[in-house]
Amino acid sequence: MLKKLLKYEWKDTRKLLLPIHFAIVLITIIGCFILNTSIFDSEMGFLLAAPLLVLYILAIITFSCVTLVYLYIRFYKNLYTAEGYLMHTLPVTHTQLFHSKLIMGYFWFFLNSLLTTISTTALGASLGFHEAFKEMSGESSGSFIDDFFLSMGQTPDTFSFADVFGFTLPMFVFSLFIMILVCSFSSVLMGYVSVLLGQRMERNKLAATVGFYFGIYMVIQILTSLAVVIPELLLMNKYLDEPMNFSTQYIMADSFQTLFPAMIISYLLMDIIFYIICRILVKRQVNLD
Amino acid sequence: MTLLECKNLTKKYGKHTALNDISLQIDGGHIIGLLGPNGSGKTTLIKLITGLLCPTAGSVYVKEEPIGPASKNLISYLPDHSYLNGNLKVREIIDFFADFYEDFDSLRAYDMMAKLQINPCQKLKTLSKGAQEKVQLILVMSRHASLYILDEPLAGVDPAARDYILDTILSNYDEDSSILISTHLISDIENILDGVIFIKDGLLHTHALVDELREQDRKSIDTIFREVFKC
Repeated sequence: MLKKLLKYEWKDTRKLLLPIHFAIVLITIIGCFILNTSIFDSEMGFLLAAPLLVLYILAIITFSCVTLVYLYIRFYKNLYTAEGYLMHTLPVTHTQLFHSKLIMGYFWFFLNSLLTTISTTALGASLGFHEAFKEMSGESSGSFIDDFFLSMGQTPDTFSFADVFGFTLPMFVFSLFIMILVCSFSSVLMGYVSVLLGQRMERNKLAATVGFYFGIYMVIQILTSLAVVIPELLLMNKYLDEPMNFSTQYIMADSFQTLFPAMIISYLLMDIIFYIICRILVKRQVNLD
Repeated sequence: MTLLECKNLTKKYGKHTALNDISLQIDGGHIIGLLGPNGSGKTTLIKLITGLLCPTAGSVYVKEEPIGPASKNLISYLPDHSYLNGNLKVREIIDFFADFYEDFDSLRAYDMMAKLQINPCQKLKTLSKGAQEKVQLILVMSRHASLYILDEPLAGVDPAARDYILDTILSNYDEDSSILISTHLISDIENILDGVIFIKDGLLHTHALVDELREQDRKSIDTIFREVFKC
């Protein structure tokens, strides 16, 4: 039955979310194409670049927000409003209903986060350091990472990717991928937990859902900030003890080395806690108004 | 075998008791009217049987199955309001029902749609309100379920549509099945009922066969209802 639920969940969600994700791919391709032409070399072209960049950023943020809010609304509407009368009278368990929403919601938001990361990286790489370095020195070494080192006043051969980012390139990409995996899961679950908690209220269930969401969001922000800030403070302490090692590259490398694991562990813990709460709330029988 | 059994069923909303200690049994092959004025607890009882509400106390069994996927597989339920996604085409909704309910008869559904000249390729929301209600009824009556539960199927429809609905109900349910119809429009359905359940202020007032009740009181069910629920 879970397969059937997933089939219909896919059919319903793709109507809005497939075009959104095609749009992300499309604006990325167009953006990269434009940035690799000499269109912005003229003064007029440069003036055009700023609003286009703002539009791009707004579009990417909007696509992410629409995806997440749509998933939350669908979860609420499909299970706890009039449509819930159909869904909750199907010969399926409450857990199967929840898992169908979770799996499809996770798939879409993971895809969204992944495409957003790829899009911004691709455009950043197209725009980035080549142009910045050209502006600064009038010359370019021709590669992204070399230009990055050069723009920091280092010769390309002095530092490797790992020296700056704390990980080798494959390891950095892998860590980023894992972070997107765990972070997307908690983002989806946070909305679902709020809806499920809102349903426990006798009255004003929708208002309670919104209240729970912002409450949980604030708590999560505080906790994740602590999870990130504490290792960074310890790192700064280390540099105060060893001022000889103080340099931009080492700070960045060490930051990434502590930041990534701290973020991944924090989000993983959140995933587990949210999932357990959801399972407990879902197991209780529904009370549809 | 008892088709539906409610044991000491109670539902409270905070301090308000919507249903109080209801115990009843329904066997197969009956058309039962669940009768009572607005707010008497009819819909609450139905929602408890279909698993849309969790009882404060007591239990419900359908063919000895507690409320869950197995019991839901035996019940075909028509709520008292629109509950389908209006953005879907009628054909897509039929496919949905056919996928989830093994006892769903797609041919019967398409046949009934054709008789009403409802285009299955049309989106549900583009149909008139009356046509949407008929689609919902057709979907529910196209199942070969053990228990049909119809919550106010006649409310807000014109007399011609009422005839169609009653005809659809009578001509599409299996003889071993039972139908539980909730309504307060008793005169319209009195002739098809063979049992009645009166709910008054959340309490079970009467549960009897129509013929017994008529013989005992020498009155129509409509008259008895008016006397019981006189304001």
